[in-house]
Amino acid sequence: MSPNFKLQCHFILIFLVALRGETRYLELREAADYDPFPLFSAHLKRELAGEQPYRRALRCLDMLSLQGQFTFTADRPQLHCAAFFIGEPEEFITIHYDLVSIDCQGGDFLKVFDGWILKGEKFPSSQDHPLPTTERYIDFCQSGLSRRSIRASQNVAMIFFRIHEPGNGFTLTIKTDPNLFPCNAISQTPNGRFTLVVPHQHRNCSFSIIYPAVIKISDLTLGHLNGLQLKKPSVGCGGVGDFVELLGGAGLDPSKMMPLADLCYPFHGPAQMKIGCDNTVVRMVSSGKHINRVTFEYRQLEPYELESPNGNSIQEFCLSSF
Amino acid sequence: MRLPLLVSAGVLLVALLPCPPCRALLSRGPGPGAREAPQSPQPLDFFQPPPPPPQSEQPQQPQPRPVLLRMGEEYFLRLGNLNKSPAAPLSPASSLLASGSRPSPDQAAANFFRVLLQQLLLPRRSLDSPAGVAERGADSALGGHQEAPERERRSEEPPISLDLTFHLLREVLEMARAEQLAQQAHSNRKLMEIIGK
Repeated sequence: MSPNFKLQCHFILIFLVALRGETRYLELREAADYDPFPLFSAHLKRELAGEQPYRRALRCLDMLSLQGQFTFTADRPQLHCAAFFIGEPEEFITIHYDLVSIDCQGGDFLKVFDGWILKGEKFPSSQDHPLPTTERYIDFCQSGLSRRSIRASQNVAMIFFRIHEPGNGFTLTIKTDPNLFPCNAISQTPNGRFTLVVPHQHRNCSFSIIYPAVIKISDLTLGHLNGLQLKKPSVGCGGVGDFVELLGGAGLDPSKMMPLADLCYPFHGPAQMKIGCDNTVVRMVSSGKHINRVTFEYRQLEPYELESPNGNSIQEFCLSSF
Repeated sequence: MRLPLLVSAGVLLVALLPCPPCRALLSRGPGPGAREAPQSPQPLDFFQPPPPPPQSEQPQQPQPRPVLLRMGEEYFLRLGNLNKSPAAPLSPASSLLASGSRPSPDQAAANFFRVLLQQLLLPRRSLDSPAGVAERGADSALGGHQEAPERERRSEEPPISLDLTFHLLREVLEMARAEQLAQQAHSNRKLMEIIGK
């Protein structure tokens, strides 16, 4: 092989390695620029673009998983109301106040919470979220319209509101934005597949499935450095280093759930675990020194699987919650 | 010979230069692929502190913050007795959702939530529980008063939460998914109508 040719090969290899880290950005850029209707005429495209956003009335207790404009108007005093918002795991939820007509002095309130909180348990947990609990509540009566658009840190958010006077209410617009490296997420569906990537970030990330589920991990990468395999991969477990843990419990807060398995070494090939708990969480602990990635599939446990456990399953802990 | 060598060295330097740590959240301002309209307000993400208050309000603004920082305990706002199983009245509503048409899921959802709220709000005696006492305290404290005794009472009140079982949470989540799918079907239908013109 001539030296010139060798040099060109090295050049090409270096170029490819340099680009590897950028592919996710390119994917998102391509997705943002993607035109699903390249063959349509401009007239048709204008007609499609002019479609009104989805609108409906918001209920006192509600769950929304789509974008649109939602209006709540009290027909009578509504003192205990909440609405949950959930998007795809690879999205941020953004809440925009279009119109708010409430009487803060009269005891009304409207608060946005960054995450979900249920029975006092929060997702993401205090350990996994960058903000303290108090800062995760944005009170309209304190901040007013100075914080008119509020973007959550993950794909879930919720609001709490109380309105005394009939006729008062508010209008919100819910939008989603792409999240390049989703860290904490709740799955909308009991079945699916997800890849959790934590690139050089010192943070803990959780993926929650609020169903009893079978988790099948197909790939776990810990301790890679810019695509080059380290000879000594990061050794986690024991709460030190980088590792992945499987949690099960009856609440929403991963920090209050029982660790059922620790995965400390990278591996390829499926590893399956059945978790018969109300909530199943895959959590990655990262030191920030490496790029960590875990790919897994999950499906809901069938009723017959809950009754007669076999194979690799841990249910005794969660059976009491049924 | 030298030129390819220099180019390779330059590419190597660029590839191995330390770059700012990747962050999952974007800071304020359009990102490389952002397509937000310039006139729309940039969303403030939760990483950013609230904008500094105007000078005239600054003496008053910090006062609630140290009070809120003392809030360390959590409770949940009891909305009612959740020991009753709402499964029976909910199943007709769930079966109505299987029809897939747009009006009936909304009606079924409205029925579901009406029943759910009735179940949650029925037993008023739950207000006698410690959580209920705290709730009454929240009612009085959230009246918007700014006096120090009110703020002190608020300092003892934990964050607001919702008392909902996982079963109910899944039910409402599945209804939200059904609504999303129905809306997607509606959009697809309109798209096909437009294409067919």
